[in-house]
Parts: sequence; structure tokens; C-alpha cells
Amino acid sequence: MTMFHFFNCAILTFGPHAVYYSATPLSEYDTLGTSVKAALVYLGTALVKLVCLATFLNVSESDSFDPYQELLKALIGFIDVAGLYFALTQLTHRNISQNHKFQAVGLGWAFADSVLHRLAPLWVGARGLEFTWDYILQGLEANANLVLSISLAALGSLMWLRKNKPRTLIPIIYACAGIVSTMPSITSYLRRGLGWHFAEVVGFELFVSLVMAFFSWQLFSTCQKPSA
Amino acid sequence: MATQRKGVLVDSVYSVIALLCILVACAELCGASAVVDVYRLIQYDLAGVPFGSRLASLNHHAGSSLFAPGADLSRTVVMLPVRELNVTFIREYIGQRKPLGGLLFLLPRMFSSEYKDSDGGDDDKPGKELLRNILVELERLLIHANIRYPVYFAFEDDKIDAVLADVKRNDATGQPATATTGGYKLVVTAPEPRKLAPPTITNIQGWLPGLKADGDSNQLPTIAIVASYDTFGAAPALSVGSDSNGSGVVALLEIARLFSLLYKNPKTRGRYNLLFGLTSGGPYNYNGTHKWLRSFDQRLRESIDYAICLNSIGSVDNELWLHVSKPPENAYIKQIFEGFHNVAEEVDLKVGLKHKKINISNPRVAWEHEQFSRLRVTAATLSELPLAPEFIKLVAESLARHIYGQQGKNINIFADDSSLGVNPSYVQSWLDLLSRTPRVAPFLSKNDPLIMAMKKELEDHTVEVNVQHEVLDGMFTFYDLTSAKLYIYQVASVTFDLLLLLVLGSYLIILFSFLVITTRGLDDLISLFRRPPSRKVKTA
Repeated sequence: MTMFHFFNCAILTFGPHAVYYSATPLSEYDTLGTSVKAALVYLGTALVKLVCLATFLNVSESDSFDPYQELLKALIGFIDVAGLYFALTQLTHRNISQNHKFQAVGLGWAFADSVLHRLAPLWVGARGLEFTWDYILQGLEANANLVLSISLAALGSLMWLRKNKPRTLIPIIYACAGIVSTMPSITSYLRRGLGWHFAEVVGFELFVSLVMAFFSWQLFSTCQKPSA
Repeated sequence: MATQRKGVLVDSVYSVIALLCILVACAELCGASAVVDVYRLIQYDLAGVPFGSRLASLNHHAGSSLFAPGADLSRTVVMLPVRELNVTFIREYIGQRKPLGGLLFLLPRMFSSEYKDSDGGDDDKPGKELLRNILVELERLLIHANIRYPVYFAFEDDKIDAVLADVKRNDATGQPATATTGGYKLVVTAPEPRKLAPPTITNIQGWLPGLKADGDSNQLPTIAIVASYDTFGAAPALSVGSDSNGSGVVALLEIARLFSLLYKNPKTRGRYNLLFGLTSGGPYNYNGTHKWLRSFDQRLRESIDYAICLNSIGSVDNELWLHVSKPPENAYIKQIFEGFHNVAEEVDLKVGLKHKKINISNPRVAWEHEQFSRLRVTAATLSELPLAPEFIKLVAESLARHIYGQQGKNINIFADDSSLGVNPSYVQSWLDLLSRTPRVAPFLSKNDPLIMAMKKELEDHTVEVNVQHEVLDGMFTFYDLTSAKLYIYQVASVTFDLLLLLVLGSYLIILFSFLVITTRGLDDLISLFRRPPSRKVKTA
């Protein structure tokens, strides 16, 4: 029964990535290599982030919200954006369209994040006899994270790869990218600064991710038009 | 440059993979909603016949006594708070050997040592009395039954109370917890209980030698003061308390301390040797006392003038009983009784005399002095000895008057406020220790801290302290695993997981369809389902 529960949570956590890959044209153009490369970049970025966090952050005994520390953490969080930039622009990809490239990168990015942050707790926790809602919520969080990663990758590809975009949209693109990339800090503030429950935080994340996905989709399609 | 970077990346990947492997290897099944200390019912064989709880490991759903009648409980651990225990239920289940997954008795908080420390205030007496009767009845039932499932005792606390309330609510709605409805699971991981090595019993003795007159070649007479220190209980790890026979031990230690003060000074040293004996094996026909006496040589045994055994079985009222096995008309007995009686009158206590003949053919020994009497040593047991300093004073005073030949005279040797007075804090500290330490002889090792402490205490006050280890006679075989940790897990039911799987499956299917429609169009989605038959047509 516990193995069953683990299986369920694993489906919820990793299923959407597989579905996304197989349902969209990504599978037709065989962009798996791009996703794997993005995942590897994510691992490298996570390592750099870890080193930075260990170097610059104090270990806080209490679980309270310290603004200065959180600011540092948010700054370090921007290393993610740098990693994504590297994955989108510097890596040599097979000749695929930009449209598919950012999706593949975002997918690989989100999948690596899920594996790194959620697989081990799931394996340790969900197989235990004790039942909690945490692992199901964590799976939902992974879904929100997938949407956010793809949105961020889409915005990134707009910022760095597309040359001729409407001037009026540029500040909006940057603002959206800023919001998406500071999401980890925002959720951390909600959880520890305002004392939200995990379920509420996950609900908020899901909501924000859908809103941001809608915005970036709209932005992407409006930028697509002049060139198309 | 690029290849170098790639190398670094690969390295980091390897390290992360290694980390994951370590995590997987270390993954233990932990994270229970509560972990509780539990104490197992004693398991023993008497002449090869099994008694007590025969199993230790437990892994079943929790249930309460509110289940529907006739329900199958063979896979349910029934949690029973002793406060509201239905003795007829227990009698029915144990007497008729109905199968249960296990039994967990919840003892009221007031019995736990933490509670005693925090609040020793007096609770309602009648409630306590009722509880006491229930516990005695329960213990009697459990010890004399052969129970094929694990039986544990635990103290109530907030966590367990919460679990019990949940379980009761579940049961009241008519859905006893099984694998399909969820609820709580109680898990004790324990190996098969093993037989203990033949239990050793440890006797401790100490001497206070009397003063010999110059040129007197005769051996001095000896007075023996004996108390049996071990106890017996349904749960060996919980067998604490000052009854049976903690207060006797404390009284003995205090008497030894008082007389050591007197015997230090040659002027006040009496013409009697005093022999103090802390014996073990009390619940097993005073086997330790028997062994101890056998180890004496004939001359020593004959030199014992009389022996006083201190016992304390459930003292409630302020009356002492002097139990003897010789008829009360016997001169020695009369003398001892008179001695106690006189002193008792002075301190407003009653002493009664009870005579019970020994039946030599009956192996059951009811009182410790009977072991002495069987070897023709005059002895008496003082029983129902509550632990108040006055009682210690009573015993010490009457002994002193006998030793110094002051019978019938009104001299107060151990006056309350003198340096020879009974020290209440000393008595209390020993009582506290004994009422906190479980002391069932088969589970005490030879060098148990309690035994060492008693030995050291006797060494402080007496000389020639001797510790004697003997093997417990009789047909008893005991099993280990007296305490364990109980893990309480809140578990989801299989139906919940099935439902979850259905929901997840439909979510993924909807997501798939949505993505296909938005990125490739509806026709693509439809063609996905059409393609296989068309292919078949082509191949055909």
C-alpha cells in the first residue's frame, strides 16, 4: 500500500513532464538531447548555487524570516537565470526552431529540478507507513514549477534570442521575467514570513504559474506576429 | 575550454548521483506520528507450560473496545484504557482464547514516574481504590493465561489520547479500521523473544558484630533482620513501587544505619550480633532466603536467636501483624510479641499476632519467616508495614530494648530529635529510588545499579558485607524483551490511493489532450486514436 502511494506521488510529480514531452511537437522533432543538456546545466547551476549559499548565508537556528538573508538568497537565486541564459544561448543545439528550443530547455530544467529536490524526499517519505498530504502537495508544486520554468524559458528566449520585438513590450517582458525568477523567494516569504501553510502556498504557486503562463504565452505570440 | 567545463559538469553529476545513492541507502521508514514507550507483559514458562504474552512484534491496525459485536479482531490491536476497562470483556477474550491482533493497555497518567515527580498531590481516593482493584484483577488474569498475541502496557499521554479519540470515533461510526478504511497502525518491531539464561538471584548480607565480654568463649547470639527486595508484576519493566517489598528494604537500611551508630561506640555496643539480609526471590517461595540460610554453617544458624522479616503487602490501615509459625504460647514468640506490643502502645499503634502452621509437604511458602522456621530458627514476619518513620522506630526500639535488656521499661533510645532519631529524608530518598526502579529478579543482572547501591549502603553501615549469587530454583523460564518502542502511524486506506490514482490518471489524460489540441490541433488528437487501425489496413 505504501509502495502504491509512492507510485501515485511519483506519477503526480514526474508524469506531467513526460506528458508534456509526448503531447507537444517536442517528441516529433526529437528534442530530448536539448532537454538533457538543459538538465545537466541545471545540475551545474544547482551546484554553484549550493556553494554560494554555503559561502554567503548564515545558518539560522530559528525558522524565522530574516529580510537581509532572504535578499541574499534572492540574489543567489538569480544564478538560475544565468544558468538558463547559458542553456538557451551558449549551448550548441541541434538545429531546432526557437519555438521548440525554449520548451525543451524549460522541460529539462523543470525535470532536473524535480528529480533533485523531490525524488529523494519522496523515496524516503512516501514509502513510510505514515500518511501525510505533503507528498501530494509536493507533486502539485512540481506541476506549478514545470509551468513556471517553461514560462521563464519562453521569456528568456524572448529577451535574449529574439532581436526584433516591439519596443513597448520590452519592459513588460522584463517585469514578467523578474516576477517568475523571484517566485522561490516569494513563496519562501509567504511560508516563513506570513506563516502560510504548505497547502496555501502550493495553491498560490499554482495560481501564479497559470497566470504567468498565460502572460508569457500572450507575449510570445505577439512577438511572433511581426516576424511571422 | 568547453570540454573542461563539460568535465566539471560530468563530475558534478556523478557527485549528485552518488549523493542520491547514499540517500536511497539510508532511507529508513521513519516519520511516525508518535513514538511511545511500551512495556510488554511478562512471558514465562512454568514447568514447560507457557504463560504470559508469547509474542513481541506487532503490526496491526488500532481498534478500541467500541467495535461492533462479533467483529473479527484477529488483525486489530485493541487499545484499552485501564480507567474505563471492562473486565468482563477481558475475561471473555482471554478466558475463551479469542484471537486478537494484540492488546495495548493504557495506564492512567498518575502511575507514570513523570507524573509522580511533577505532582504528588492526593487525588480522589475512591477512584484510586477502584483502579487498584481493576489492576489487581487484570494482572491476575494476564499472568495466569497463555496469550498468543503481544500484550503491551503504555502510559496515557496527549498523543496516545488523541489517537485513541480518533480510533473511537472511527469505531463508533461502525467502521473498524482495517486495511481498506485507513486509521492508525501500531507497529513494534521486535525479534522473537528469547529465553533468558537461568535467572540468578542475589542476596546481600551485612554484619554488626556485638561486643564480646573478655574471656567469654561462647559465641554471641545473633538477631537477623531480613527483607526481600525483589518483586513481581505483569510487566517486568513497570514493576516499581514501594510495596512488595520496598518499604521493608528501606526499613532495614534505616535500622542498619541506626544500629551502626550505636555499635560504633564500644560502650553502647550490644551483646548481640546483628545480621542484616536483603534477600531476592521473594515471589518464588522466598527461594533466595532459602538459599541464603542453607549457605550458613550449622553453628551460625544455631546462634540466631530470632529473625525478624520485614514485609509490606498493600498496607492500608494502621495495623501491623506479626506472623509466626510457632504457637503463640511459645516462650520466644511471646517475648518478641511482648516487645513489639509494649513499644507499639507507646506510639499509639496496634500490633496483632497471627499464627499459621507450616505444612512441610506444601512447597508454597507464604511468608518469609517460614523459610527460617523450616530450619528451626525462631522467626516472625512483620507485615502490612506502611512506610512511616514511626514504624521503623517501632521495630528499632523494640529490637534495642531486647538487645540492651530493657524490656518493659519506658526508655526512648531512638528519640525523634536526637542524633539517633529516624531520619525521614533518608527514608524518603530510598523509597523514591525503590519506587522508581523496576526490580523483578530474573531481569536484574548481577551488577545491577540497584543491587550495587544497596550493597554500598550496607557497606557504609555494617561490616563483612557479602553478596551471594544463586541460581533461582524451580521450573521458571523467563523471556527477554520487557520494553519496546511503539510506533503509531496514521495510514491512508487502499481505497484512497485507488481514488487518487484515478484522479491522477484523468488529470494526465486531460493534460495530454489539452496540450495536443493547443499545439497541434484537434485533428491530431483524433488521428492519434485512428492511426493504429489504418496501419493495420495498410499492412493487410
